[in-house]
Amino acid sequence: MKRPIFLSILLWFVLIMGSAIFIFPLWWMAVVSLETPARAAAAMRGGIGLLPRDPQFSNYAEAIRQTGSVPWMGFIDALSNSIVVTVLVVLGTVLSSSLVGYAFARFRFRGNTPLFLIMLGTMMLPGQVTMIPLFLVFRSFGWIDSILPLVVPAFFGNAFFIFMYRQFIAQIPESLVEAARIDGLGHLAIWWRIMLPLCRPVTAICAVFTFIGTWNDFMTPLIYLHAPESMTLAVTLNSFKGQYPGINNVHLLMAMSMLTMIPCIILFLAAQRTFIEGLARGGVKG
Amino acid sequence: MATVQLTKVGKVYAGERGVHFRAVEAVDLAIQDGEFCVLVGPSGCGKSTTLRMIAGLEEISEGVLEIDGRMVNDVPAKDRDIAFVFQNYALYPHLTVAENVAFGLETRRTHRNALVAALTGAGTARGEESAVIRARVAEVSKTLGLDALLHRYPRELSGGQRQRVAVGRAIARDPKVFLFDEPLSNLDARLRIETRTELRMLHRRLAATIVYVTHDQEEAMTLADRLVVMHKGRIQQNASAQECYENPANRFVAGFIGTPPMNIVDGHLKAGAFVANGVSVALGAEHARLGDRASALGFRPDRVRLVAPNAPSSVSASIAAIERLGDRTDVALDSPWGRVVARLDADATRALREGEAAGIAFDAAHAHLFEPGECGGRIVA
Repeated sequence: MKRPIFLSILLWFVLIMGSAIFIFPLWWMAVVSLETPARAAAAMRGGIGLLPRDPQFSNYAEAIRQTGSVPWMGFIDALSNSIVVTVLVVLGTVLSSSLVGYAFARFRFRGNTPLFLIMLGTMMLPGQVTMIPLFLVFRSFGWIDSILPLVVPAFFGNAFFIFMYRQFIAQIPESLVEAARIDGLGHLAIWWRIMLPLCRPVTAICAVFTFIGTWNDFMTPLIYLHAPESMTLAVTLNSFKGQYPGINNVHLLMAMSMLTMIPCIILFLAAQRTFIEGLARGGVKG
Repeated sequence: MATVQLTKVGKVYAGERGVHFRAVEAVDLAIQDGEFCVLVGPSGCGKSTTLRMIAGLEEISEGVLEIDGRMVNDVPAKDRDIAFVFQNYALYPHLTVAENVAFGLETRRTHRNALVAALTGAGTARGEESAVIRARVAEVSKTLGLDALLHRYPRELSGGQRQRVAVGRAIARDPKVFLFDEPLSNLDARLRIETRTELRMLHRRLAATIVYVTHDQEEAMTLADRLVVMHKGRIQQNASAQECYENPANRFVAGFIGTPPMNIVDGHLKAGAFVANGVSVALGAEHARLGDRASALGFRPDRVRLVAPNAPSSVSASIAAIERLGDRTDVALDSPWGRVVARLDADATRALREGEAAGIAFDAAHAHLFEPGECGGRIVA
């Protein structure tokens, strides 16, 4: 189908304008992170160029040095905390959500449907509603100022991802499960060796969203963690700002924000292909 | 290899509010060692449920199932030493052909020997077993001509190739009994006939006990040592294919086995003649002994002759349709006895035209009489 030329131009124009609007904040952040302190401060009042006049790549080293209370080490602490928490949360969410999704999809037990609906219903609750009761529960466990409140809930599933796994597993042919039973697998082994590999597209979505959500999570670590050395990157960023009141060091804040974003961007690009991959088809006719 | 013995086996599904549905009723079946047994019947006749009960995929509601003399009603599927080939093949999509074939062997190894290996620290045992499995996979793939496909994924295979991998996966384990659930129904017609022959040859080579389910009576007849015709959850006849064809136990079997199906006419027997819709044809002296009774008359299309209209002992009809198949011709006729199909020699039918009048005559010695009703038994004169 050939599109008239003026329509193509219009389409391209609209798309480029749209992209520009979305990219602008990111671009602004990148530019400011490379400015001199004076020009960065000026940018906060509205003056900004499309490119930094005199790129200060040393801003990044300086930002890393000044993160946290101890030079250099503060950044290392925050980074490793973020990595540990995020990896555990992603692992917990994928494992528990897929296991529960498998059960909902394949086990015929009394109350399957009502339970499933109740679980979906929990998605309606805003996080703020459960924030205080949860805090009280975790405090009674003595878990405050540890990573447990950040990590343990992930091992109890996430309603939305359970829903996604259930829907995906439900359309995998029953005969595959039966073949596995005859081949000598129990339910756990079927989940681990058959379902999880087949659910790769769902797992990719689940892992990436959970990763981005946890990596950037500000509220939960702020509520449960107190010690500066146990903070995650997202919270450290904030204390960065508090450390130097005013807008003098906005260039360092932007540099740090840029660094913090990198893993999310890399992960998203890497997992993109798996999103669209339909692996479940092919073993059966069709 | 092994025998399979079903004694009064039944399957009851509990429905809503205590309403039960009987899918299989009182099935008695003894399958000999090395026998190719085919369960055949229309959809919903209980043949697949019976097979799945043998496999352990469905619970047995009533009766006793024995494999090799051991009662296995409550033995889980994995411990029955059976292999199951599914209609949709059920290959693991994320594993290669080689991994699919080896899968059952691998899991068994894990179960039996993982602990032993861990306790004795026998790392080499694992390696040796891997070698055994690899050898077995190579052997099976050679038997089935899968060598070139071993590193492909199921989605990269054609329907026929997937089917062969599914068979390979079953063979690899060297089970006591092979169970096939309509394994050819997803193949196109030509491939189905080829694969049918291959299966038959494979059966002879392996001397395996096979229980095979199909709804295709032609496939059933060509494959079976023993043909079990099922309908409405019950066995209608259990005999050789030839016996089912020549001496059907009842009207259902008569109508189900054979292509085109047997012509069956409802009417009654009166003084040695069969009367339906006012048209009477004499059958012969021995039928006179049966007295006067309601019955159904059956005769195969290849036993029908076309004679001149109004010839003695014939039913006059008009030719509704002629299907020329090359060597033979199927002629459908409309008569007072309803639609009758005749299968005739092609040479004898060259002059026939649709719409012409003809007389239907049949060979009384090869006709069958049945009690009235869908599964009415055969009346032996």
